[in-house]
Amino acid sequence: MRSGFVPFALGPALLFAAGLAGAVVSGAAAPGFTITDTAGKAVQLADYKGKYVVLEWTNPECPFVRKHYSSGNMQGLQKEWGSRNVVWLAINSTNSTSSEFKTPREMKAWMESNGAAPAATLLDSTSDTGRAYSAKTTPHMFVVDPGGKVVYAGAIDDKWSTNPADAKTAHNYVRAALTEAMSGKPVTVASTTPYGCSIKY
Amino acid sequence: MLVMTAVMLFASSASPAPVKTAHVEAELVAAKTALVPGEPITVALRLVLEKGWHTYWRNPGDSGLPTTLTWTLPPGVEAGPIEWPAPRMLPVGPLVNYGYEGVALHLVEIRPQRSLAIGGTAVLAARADWLVCKEVCIPEGADLTLALPVAESAPPDARWGPEISAARATLPQPLAGWSASAIGGGATVALKLVPPAGAAVPGVVRFFPFAVDRIDPSGPQPITRDGDAYVLTLPVAPTLSGPLDRLAGVLTAASGFGAVRAATIDVAVAGNVAPGAKGAPAPAPALDLAASRSGAGDGITLALAIVSALLGGLILNLMPCVFPVLTLKVLGFATHHDTRSTMRQEAVAFGAGVVLTFVALGAALAALRATGEQLGWGFQLQSPAVVSALAILFFVLALNLSGVFEFGQLAPSGVTNWTAKNRTLDAFGSGVLAVIVASPCTAPFMGAALGFALGAPAASMLLIFVALGIGMALPYVLFAWFPGWRRRLPRPGPWLERFKQVLAFPLYATVIWLAWVLGAQRDNDALLRLMLALLGVGFALWASRIVRLGGARPWGIAGAFVLAGAAIIAWPLFVTEPVVTAKAAAIDNASDERWMEFTPATVAALTASGRPVFVDFTAAWCVTCQVNKRLVLNAEEVRAQFAAKGVALVRADWTRRDPAITQALAAFGRSGVPVYVLYRPGKEPLLLPEVLRRSTMQEALATL
Repeated sequence: MRSGFVPFALGPALLFAAGLAGAVVSGAAAPGFTITDTAGKAVQLADYKGKYVVLEWTNPECPFVRKHYSSGNMQGLQKEWGSRNVVWLAINSTNSTSSEFKTPREMKAWMESNGAAPAATLLDSTSDTGRAYSAKTTPHMFVVDPGGKVVYAGAIDDKWSTNPADAKTAHNYVRAALTEAMSGKPVTVASTTPYGCSIKY
Repeated sequence: MLVMTAVMLFASSASPAPVKTAHVEAELVAAKTALVPGEPITVALRLVLEKGWHTYWRNPGDSGLPTTLTWTLPPGVEAGPIEWPAPRMLPVGPLVNYGYEGVALHLVEIRPQRSLAIGGTAVLAARADWLVCKEVCIPEGADLTLALPVAESAPPDARWGPEISAARATLPQPLAGWSASAIGGGATVALKLVPPAGAAVPGVVRFFPFAVDRIDPSGPQPITRDGDAYVLTLPVAPTLSGPLDRLAGVLTAASGFGAVRAATIDVAVAGNVAPGAKGAPAPAPALDLAASRSGAGDGITLALAIVSALLGGLILNLMPCVFPVLTLKVLGFATHHDTRSTMRQEAVAFGAGVVLTFVALGAALAALRATGEQLGWGFQLQSPAVVSALAILFFVLALNLSGVFEFGQLAPSGVTNWTAKNRTLDAFGSGVLAVIVASPCTAPFMGAALGFALGAPAASMLLIFVALGIGMALPYVLFAWFPGWRRRLPRPGPWLERFKQVLAFPLYATVIWLAWVLGAQRDNDALLRLMLALLGVGFALWASRIVRLGGARPWGIAGAFVLAGAAIIAWPLFVTEPVVTAKAAAIDNASDERWMEFTPATVAALTASGRPVFVDFTAAWCVTCQVNKRLVLNAEEVRAQFAAKGVALVRADWTRRDPAITQALAAFGRSGVPVYVLYRPGKEPLLLPEVLRRSTMQEALATL
């Protein structure tokens, strides 16, 4: 009589998804990852050892992300720092089970239509890397130094809004952190609370 | 003239119709009908949110954006800040937001200066901006106005005055009577709350910090006792920059700090605080709701779910609530000498009744869930009205088996003849009845298959419910189909009458159990009402038989009166909302102190502390749960083993509706109880079978 129930009693036991790991804060070692980009190429954080790396958590469905793209703010940062040998990686950790999930082709098309210029756009469709970094929002920004250490983690700027006009007038934490770190100074504001949409784990 | 003034007053104090955006209706409303110079007045931004959507508190939590108001006011009028109602925790996957659902009133004090001239109209204009989210987030906003006459006196606004007063009354006020102090200890802050003498237990307490980067919004906030005091352990935000020398925010208590549910505190933090460098303890895996829910369908394949449903349906026939009814149905074959085709026709009708009723119940549940109700299978039994109705139905069926009356006697003879002729319809009705009487038993036994069904697309869900129905109808249909099988049934005789009478007793037992469930859901008075109703029904049925057998007519009249009385007494059971009493009373009175009440935060905190945790998802109406509790969980050797292994025991009582528990069940791919989970430090949590055995339990504990 019970045999019928045992299989489906045990099945769900295998379903536990991991929660957020310990938050990655500035000063911590940046967790390694290997994620496929929108062109189908595997990208590893370790490939960029020796360079500054910016990790930008993104999701085209999020009004906070759209604010920074429609204002040209994010593309501007990508080009500004890309030209200074900083590796900019845009990561979409929207889980493949979410309604907001984007296929590589959709994601590539959206980035191109916005004139985005990251070194690569990565699809973390299992959300594993998002969890490893405890990324909470889109956008959520991390700056990693050449030694693989996180020197900034948090919001992109200090104006919590979805209004594109605010991107111009806000104090940009990422630019400030990169400027200080690359000129050998300690980062003044190394950690802030990120703002935006929840990452769709 | 007077009338005209009144009309003008009325017209001028009314705000324009609410502004409707895609998911919100917004308007400005005032507590009074006019502005009186020198007298502050409360105006509210009233947001009515679409079901399932939320807006944010002043600290939005892990993501989101607070609602803002920018005023444009006539000279001589000033506006204060938003006075925020206490927020709710809104979990989004592993993240937590703070905000509002349903109707949110953002109160603002408007201060007209003394010098303001009487007689004119003041137009209060505000730009309101909010972020409204469900899965997606949409920034919305509206330009709102409210025109108020400036007068010497102002009566309360009939429509909004009471609603605004009520909102003001529940605004968090400084914590009174209790004393609060905070001590930092590295990555956590211990908030100590000392109650006044004789204070009741506050229940689940949650701290919502005003500032965004102080306390981790999604971290657990376990509460412990320290003598008379309660200590809430708050995880410091990993993003903390600068000192955390004060703790300011709102404290909510499920059972209240005395009379208030939400209070503000602002206390100094002693000791040392460091950013949660290692991060706050990760939320317990099982509580990662969105992530595991989305994966729930992968746990069992559709084919396995269908086979399980088929087997489950078969087993339902053996349940104490179904067995007597169906046994009689099958034994009925022995007495019938119909043609094979009539029998088969009847069997198919019965099967159709069973299957269609299951599908209808499943569709009703799916439809309710689509509207955002947090329901699981067994939801029927969370309603005291349904429990009462079932108790009466089972009592009537039991009296029938006991021989107090025959069903045929109740219906007018015309109907009886008609059903006798139309046996197909009768068989279909039996099928419907069989599912209804089986419903108390489906809940505890069908957990996983139905959990899968509810998460599956409509077509798969339909298949599972159909399989369940087919399984249940199968024995009856097979007996009807194969005459050879029927010959093996015992011959009818006087023993059959006695057998029927014996079978009445499981049904009486079911009535007792349902009455107990009702008592747990409601109170002693409800139990009394049900008992009196049963007494009345019993008398009326007995009287009907007396009249039938040629007794005096007054017996029939008396029976009718008593039945009417029973209906009046039972009426409140069907119409009034259940009284919300202390939750602990539902199943386990406080005496069983070894078990902690379930909240996702409790489990997260316990697992984070490295202890093994056993969670018992249960309900008073779940028989399997009760049997498991008595025979296994409360067994001496199991209790000893729990103690030896230092297992923290948590009980999630789903007797009444509880969205947090429904969500937690969904995270395991289940939609019903019982569910037993053993969280093992450093290992995958273990889900135990629904029918527990001591040996299974002991084997599970041995893996710790």
